[in-house]
Amino acid sequence: MIEVNDVTKRYGETLAVDHLSFAVKPGIVTGFLGPNGAGKTTTMRMILGLDNPSSGTVTVNGRCYRDIGAPMHQIGALLDAKAANGGHTARQHLGWIARAGGIPAGRVDEVLELVGLADVAGRRLGGFSLGMYQRLGIAAALLGDPETLIFDEPVNGLDPEGIRWIRNFLQCLASEGRTILLSSHLMSEMEATADHVIVIGRGRLIANTSIAAVTQQSASNHVRVVSPRSADLVPLLERAGATVNAEDGALIVTGIEAPAIGKVAAGHGLELHELSPRRASLEAAFMELTQGSQQYQGVLSSSAA
Amino acid sequence: MTTATISSNSKIATRAATRRTGFIDILASEWSKLATLRATQLTLGLGFLLSVATTAIACIALGTTQDDWSPDFSPVTTSMIGVAFGVIVFTVFGVMAVSREYASGTIRLTLTATPARGRVFLAKFALVGTMLLVAGLASTISMFYAGQALLGAYGMPTASLADPDAARMVLGLGVAMPFFPLIGFAFGVLFRSTAGGITTALGLHWLPQIFGQLVSESFQENVLSLLPSNGMDTMTSGHIQHSPAFPDPMVGAVVAATWFAVIVGAAYLAFVRRDA
Repeated sequence: MIEVNDVTKRYGETLAVDHLSFAVKPGIVTGFLGPNGAGKTTTMRMILGLDNPSSGTVTVNGRCYRDIGAPMHQIGALLDAKAANGGHTARQHLGWIARAGGIPAGRVDEVLELVGLADVAGRRLGGFSLGMYQRLGIAAALLGDPETLIFDEPVNGLDPEGIRWIRNFLQCLASEGRTILLSSHLMSEMEATADHVIVIGRGRLIANTSIAAVTQQSASNHVRVVSPRSADLVPLLERAGATVNAEDGALIVTGIEAPAIGKVAAGHGLELHELSPRRASLEAAFMELTQGSQQYQGVLSSSAA
Repeated sequence: MTTATISSNSKIATRAATRRTGFIDILASEWSKLATLRATQLTLGLGFLLSVATTAIACIALGTTQDDWSPDFSPVTTSMIGVAFGVIVFTVFGVMAVSREYASGTIRLTLTATPARGRVFLAKFALVGTMLLVAGLASTISMFYAGQALLGAYGMPTASLADPDAARMVLGLGVAMPFFPLIGFAFGVLFRSTAGGITTALGLHWLPQIFGQLVSESFQENVLSLLPSNGMDTMTSGHIQHSPAFPDPMVGAVVAATWFAVIVGAAYLAFVRRDA
C-alpha cells in the first residue's frame, strides 16, 4: 500500500508536484498517467525516499521508505533501466544490489532466469540492448520478491517485441496478486494492463478512477444516428436535452443515450437507419482529461484529440 | 516465459531472512561494486606503477649525472619523488569511486537498496580510504626499496627502513597519500561530477605551487601556508628538512585535519540530506 498525502515538491522555482494525494490500492495494477513533465517520476522518487517532499508525506505500508529496515522485500522499483556500470556483468550488477539489500546471493541467478537473461549472466552490460537493460531492471526490482512494484515508463523506447514481453511479464506479476504502479504517458499502454488509473497533470491530481469510468465520463462519448428524417428528428432530440451536430450525413448526438433516442424516434414514427453508441477511446478520454495541463503545448496539439 | 511464476521457492526463505542491512553488508556490496570494475584495477595499478617508475627514473638520472654529493643529499626524500605523481592518479580514483555512481545513475539503486544514507556514506568512505591506504603504503615502500637499490647501484648513499627518520617519512607518506584522494572523494559527492571533483581536489593540492611564486611573501606566509598541502608537507617531512610553512609538525597536522574534516563533513551532510 502506497500512500501519498498532500505532497508538494519544489525544485527552486519549479513546482513539480502540487498538493498531490492518492493511495495505490493493493493487489491490482494502477496506471500512473500524465503528460511528460507532469511529475510522475518525481512522485515515484519520493515514494522511494530518493527525493524529499517539500511538504506532505509519502508512505509505503505505513512507513516512510527511509525507515523501512529491508525495503527491497517490500517494494521493488524500476526507475531508469540504464542505471548500471557498463563494466559489470549482469550477475555482478545484481550481486552488489542484492548484497546491499540483505538478499541471499542465490536469488540473483533465480531472477536472471525469470527475466530470461540467464544465458547472458556473465556478459558485460556495455553490450546490452535497451530491451535487455529493461529486463535487468525488472530483475533487480524482483530481487527481494516484493509485494509492491513500481515501474517508471517500462516500455519507453522498446521495439514491439520488447513491449510485448514487458506487457506479458507485467500481467504475469499482476496475476500473482501483486500491487503494481505503472507510469506511462501513453493511455493506450494502460488499456491492456491497468485496472485503475491515477492521472496527474502539472503536478496535480486530475483523475483517480477505474479504467472503465474514464471512458464513461468522456465528453467524446456520443451516439451516431442516421435517419432519412433527420430534419424532423433534430428539434425533437434537442428538446429531450441532447446536443446534435451533423457529420457527413449522420447526426452526432451527445447528452442522451441511445435508448432514449430510439424512444423519441419511435414515438414520432421516425425511421432510423443507424443508431450506434460510440465510446471514446481511452486515448481520447485521456487527452480530454489532460488538456491544459501539458507543460509544453504545441499550437496544433489540440487537433490530436 | 509467461507461465513462470515470479515468486521463487525461496520466497519463504527470503521473507524469513528479512532484516535490516548491516554495515558489513553495505561494505561488502560497495566492495563488490568497486573492486570488480576494470577501471578500479587500472587506476590503482597505474598510480602505483607511475609512482615507482618516476622514482626509478629520477634515481637513474641522478646516478648517471651527479658525481659529488652535497652533505644534505637525502636518499629517502629522493626515493619519494614519485609520490606527487601517484597522488594525481589516486585522486582520480577517489573522485571516480563516487562520481561514477552519479554519472551512471547507480546511486539511486544504491540508496533504494539501502536507504540508511549515513551508513552508506561511511561504508563508501571507509572502503575507498582503505583501498587508497593499501595502495599508498605499497607505493611508498616500493618506491623506497626501488630507489635505494638504484642509488646503491650507482654508489650513492642509501638509507634503511630501520632508521626511524626514514621509516617515519616512508610510512608517513604512505598513510598520507590517501589525503587528497579522499578530499577528491568528498568533492565527487559535493559536485556529483568527475571533472568538478578532480579539478577542485587537484587545484587545492597544487594551489600553493601554482600561485606561490606570483604573490607577495606575506601572502604566501599568512594565506597560502594555511592550505592543506602545506600542512601535509610539514607533517611528513618537517622533521627531516626545513619546513617552508610551519616549524612544528603538530601545527601542520591541525591545519590538514581541519581542512579534511570540513570538506568530508560537508560531503556527508550533502549526501544524507540532498535529493539523490
